[in-house]
Amino acid sequence: MPENNPQPPTVSAAEPPAPSPLMAAVLARLGTLVVEHHADYGDDRIHVARENIAEVCRALRDTPELAFDMCLDVTAVDYFGNPDGFRAPERIWDENRGEWRIRPVSRHYVIPPPRGPEPRFAVVYHLLSTRHLHRLRIKTRVPEDDPTIATVSDIWPAANWLERETWDLYGIRFTGHPDLRRIYLNDEFVGHPLRKDYAKEHEQPLEEYMGPGAKEPRRPLS
Amino acid sequence: MAARVVKVARPQPMTRRWTPLLVGLGVAIAHFFRNLLGFARGRQDFTVYFPEQRFVQPPAMRGMPVLVQMPNGKERCVACGLCEFACPTNCITIFPAETASEVERYPEVFDIDMSRCMFCGLCEEACPEEAIVMSRQVEIACYSRRGSLWHKQDLLVPEAELKPRLDYLRPQYARK
Amino acid sequence: MLGGGLDPALNAPPMRLQFGPSHPATHGTVRIVLDLDGEQIINADVQVGYLHRGFEKECESGFYYQNIPYTDRLNYSSPILCNTAYCMAVEKLLGIKTPERCDYIRVIGCELSRMADHMLCLGSSAMELAAFTPFLYLLEARELVLDHIDAMCGARVTTNAVRIGGVYSDLPEGFREFSRVKLDRALELVEDAHKILTDNIVFRRRMEGTGYLSPEDLIAYGVTGPMLRAGGIALDLRRTQPYLVYPQLDFDVPVGEHSDNFDRYLVRMEEIRQSRRIIAQCLERIPTGPVNVDDPRCRWPGKNQVFGRMEELIDQFKLVTEGGLFPPGEVYFALESANGEIGFYLVSDGTGKPYKCRVRSPSFSNMSPLGHALKGRQLADVVPTFGMTNMIGGECDR
Ligand code: SF4
Ligand code: SF4
Repeated sequence: MPENNPQPPTVSAAEPPAPSPLMAAVLARLGTLVVEHHADYGDDRIHVARENIAEVCRALRDTPELAFDMCLDVTAVDYFGNPDGFRAPERIWDENRGEWRIRPVSRHYVIPPPRGPEPRFAVVYHLLSTRHLHRLRIKTRVPEDDPTIATVSDIWPAANWLERETWDLYGIRFTGHPDLRRIYLNDEFVGHPLRKDYAKEHEQPLEEYMGPGAKEPRRPLS
Repeated sequence: MAARVVKVARPQPMTRRWTPLLVGLGVAIAHFFRNLLGFARGRQDFTVYFPEQRFVQPPAMRGMPVLVQMPNGKERCVACGLCEFACPTNCITIFPAETASEVERYPEVFDIDMSRCMFCGLCEEACPEEAIVMSRQVEIACYSRRGSLWHKQDLLVPEAELKPRLDYLRPQYARK
Repeated sequence: MLGGGLDPALNAPPMRLQFGPSHPATHGTVRIVLDLDGEQIINADVQVGYLHRGFEKECESGFYYQNIPYTDRLNYSSPILCNTAYCMAVEKLLGIKTPERCDYIRVIGCELSRMADHMLCLGSSAMELAAFTPFLYLLEARELVLDHIDAMCGARVTTNAVRIGGVYSDLPEGFREFSRVKLDRALELVEDAHKILTDNIVFRRRMEGTGYLSPEDLIAYGVTGPMLRAGGIALDLRRTQPYLVYPQLDFDVPVGEHSDNFDRYLVRMEEIRQSRRIIAQCLERIPTGPVNVDDPRCRWPGKNQVFGRMEELIDQFKLVTEGGLFPPGEVYFALESANGEIGFYLVSDGTGKPYKCRVRSPSFSNMSPLGHALKGRQLADVVPTFGMTNMIGGECDR
């Protein structure tokens, strides 16, 4: 087991600075739906609970002074149970070698940090308002044993493909999504490659080629 | 001093049907005659007839990485391994060994897998000894995958031949 | 049903046509499954992913500086824009302000890349509509632009030109004269292509009114770049959220009004001319000075110092083998690339490798409304609409 690791400097200062005008408006509109808010590196971000995501997104889009009408990005982060602020451990348990090592080790190993107790994934939304030209990031934690979250593709159609991508690479299910297929990888792919426990060296078995059209139709005629 | 928003001017709706076609034809014919007559006067073609003619490469050009050979025939590399670390594609392999001369270390094996190398130049930037530099050589096609593994003896290039690159590098990587 | 529908008495299923993955009339590897009623598209299912290479997974296991060459491969027709976006995201994490000369060089590189990208897009879409001559002119112009990039950083496509806190190399001697001659020639060729294409009846018949997307759809689908501006929405990050030295430069942001393929073509044509203006202004005003920040957390020490001094040698070893010192946290930085907003979302856990490196790629978002835009249109509209979307496989599929 590790000796006491040296603690890196923590991110959040003791006294949180006053929220920006955008954040003040968001907080006034959403009230208690916002679990926490930060403005690290000048990016405004709010954390909301998983159950409220559709309600929050609808409110952000429909409030005239916020008017987040463009969804730039939906993605996820596999935190492996660590908090968002990353009390980054200086040393990492290397399972292959059975010893504590200083990160980073070498290019071709991804050594996940030790697991923590928090929900494993975070789903991240980046929003932009084309009217007011401000940006907001929403984060939601999603646990590992039930990786589901409500879709926002009915609010912004842009989220349709982005959520498919997140499902493909992280295995997070978006309930209510009209067409949740894999988008990058083939249908036979096992696992979700951007999870931290999917090793980079991992190979998928070669699927036998069944001849042209054998897998058709991928999608029933509508 | 600012960006302005302008509407793109859309040409008139297509009333004159044939004149634009004739204008386009005129442009193409003008190009044809310029090329034809210029050719007679020894104009420089845009196309380079490759094996006979060569591009004039700028001094910054990055070709395949090679090792600098000192005048005494030895490599300058001291097998510190920084290029191996910096290489994004992991294509350098070094086995260090000790020697009795004043540099104390030398690479016993120094292999670069040219099928993986992408000529990015990070090894050159990382090397603390100016021992690996990007040459101008890019014609490294080979018939087998084994042939794309370059060993130390193949990679050594005399320092005198690499002088232009070394002269280019020194001001680029100097600070202050 | 659209277009009168299929005759129920015939009980014929719609014809299913596979467009792609490697179709000669598309510049990009994408498969579009079309359900056709005669010439009319009932349903278009766009399937991307043929060029998926695991960029984000690869980035998680490389140091910050090692990922810069990979960003070239995102948009291989305008690599310096991707380099700059990535490096500026890392600089935002570190809180670095780069020297002014470096900013000017980055702007020059970005605008050259934008020109090259638009030339390739216009040329190849013209060729897909059977106009081969302007394609040759525009590719010749693109070669002349790539000559600049070659002189700047030593490679034409895989540039690796920008570094965290600086650039790879300073501008070469006499770059201004070099550029004046070559860019004038390139712009002449672009004007020639413009003369051939813009009034041409065949070209206009196929571009005008096709691929229409309403401004509301454009915003809702997250479309950015020339496609959005052709719909009349003047959202250009160079203007609305200025970065580098853009606020000091004088240029126009062209917008269209019809939101069809022809306006996208015209907007791109105009942006090439504006990029030429920006480059001329930058070369006029570029100050002398260093091109790299003097920040030991990320920028490697100079070779002259490494050769002679112990501290710098140790510094070099530490930076190369540990990647640098990066604070934990997360940043998002976006800039205006040739196709729209390219953004990098970096999550750092305080080590030398990004914990997550996410690309918000413009091509991906611009492709998502394609199926919607094609529905109910003619089969022949697929090629110009896809051409003007300018999907770059490397960036869309990552
Ligand atoms: S040029 Fe790049 S890829 Fe090639 S050996 Fe050097 S660091 Fe590796
Ligand atoms: S960095 Fe230079 S000195 Fe060190 S091993 Fe590589 S070539 Fe040799």
